[in-house]
Amino acid sequence: MKYTNTYKKVELIISEDLLKRLSSYGIEQFSNEFGGFLMGYYSNNFKTLTITDTVLPKVYQGTPYLFQRSIKGIGGTFEVYYKKQPNQYYIGEWHTHPNGSTAYSHTDKQAMVNITQCATVNITNPILLIISINASEINGFQFYLYDNNELFPFVEST
Amino acid sequence: MNITKSEHLENVLQTHRMTHIEDLLKKYREKRQDIKEAIEAEYSSDIYNPLNSGSYAKHTAINSKFDLDVMIPFKRDAFMTLEEMFNDIFDFLQEKYGSVAEVIKQKVSIGIEFYADDNGDIISIDIVPGRELNTGQYEDDHKLNLYVNSNYGELEAQSYIQTNIHAQIDHIKSKDNERKIIRLFKVWKTTNNENYKSFLLELITIKAFDKENIKGNLWEKLKAVMEYIRDHITKDNFTLKDPGNGGNDIADTLEDYEKRNLSNKMKNMLERIEDNEDNLKHYFPTNPDFEDEDKNGNGYGKKSGAASLFSRPPKNERFG
Repeated sequence: MKYTNTYKKVELIISEDLLKRLSSYGIEQFSNEFGGFLMGYYSNNFKTLTITDTVLPKVYQGTPYLFQRSIKGIGGTFEVYYKKQPNQYYIGEWHTHPNGSTAYSHTDKQAMVNITQCATVNITNPILLIISINASEINGFQFYLYDNNELFPFVEST
Repeated sequence: MNITKSEHLENVLQTHRMTHIEDLLKKYREKRQDIKEAIEAEYSSDIYNPLNSGSYAKHTAINSKFDLDVMIPFKRDAFMTLEEMFNDIFDFLQEKYGSVAEVIKQKVSIGIEFYADDNGDIISIDIVPGRELNTGQYEDDHKLNLYVNSNYGELEAQSYIQTNIHAQIDHIKSKDNERKIIRLFKVWKTTNNENYKSFLLELITIKAFDKENIKGNLWEKLKAVMEYIRDHITKDNFTLKDPGNGGNDIADTLEDYEKRNLSNKMKNMLERIEDNEDNLKHYFPTNPDFEDEDKNGNGYGKKSGAASLFSRPPKNERFG
């Protein structure tokens, strides 16, 4: 599945299988929020990002309106992905909104600001994926691109 | 310089990307396809499938100066001589495109430069005819003999040259670091009116990476290749074998004084950049046509000065 961000003129590719897998992780934790780290690689011209996998946190807290995750116990995993061919990077985060919308909250936006300001993060446009779920299935999802204190939605490529 | 040397060089590469000129490239591809189809219709069973060659096929092209090349592999018995082949395809292209383009005999190719269209765009396509060495051999080894137009250039003593475009393209495949340096040298060559062959700069860059332990950021890599050229190009036993023809030493296309000039130019550039970082911008300028576009940010971004995109997320983060 391919999505376009018209603000940055970039594309994002993700397989249906991976999206289903993320949703199923979220549904398992329903009615609490849940999420993880998005991994992927960029095309040579940096115009296309392919999301390849997720890394799930080992330490996290979820409530119906909050998800807090740590990298405790999985710090080395990001190096493992980086050593793959092609090199795969931490490119953003995903989390669920149980029975909620796919709109981002102020907390979500602040998290993205924190991510880009973090000294160990070298990307300036992390991706935020919000998946709306209910107890048994996905209601919808939305990818956002963070840039300079703003979040810009992706639209499905035609 | 208020950005690092590496950041500047990244900007140079960014602003010279071919993706900036997609609309123009589309016109190039359409013309190329039109020419290919015309040649296939004319020569049908006398040729194998035409193939794209040159810098665009090798992913070393820059947007400030480029053309598209098409290799036409003729069968051995299509013509008695290479000269006959060269002249026949020239006559055909002249007849077909002479009213809408300049059709010119070049050293080993025929250049078709279309007159400017309504947008002022001029499309240049180079057609490189070659003939297999023996009947049916091309399908096995992809080797071709090219006719050398004796009225042109330093190869005037030769009447033909053997090459293998597949081998040349394979030689640079998956060499992303080398490609970046080659593209930087092309920017240098184009903006400073240097007439060194791109193929020579390509081979010497690949050799430098093969022979030396080249690593670090973009500036460190470029510097290491420039030092390699400075220190090795004038050596007596220095060779640059054409991967398409081991008997063809591209280093030999330079006279001794030209090699000394190239070595001196690398030395001077390195010293002047060492004296004042701003001199890097003189030798390797960004393409001003696309600076603003890149400032607005096309493409996913990387933090200034970051050696790679590798990132470790913040330790703790909360989402709502």
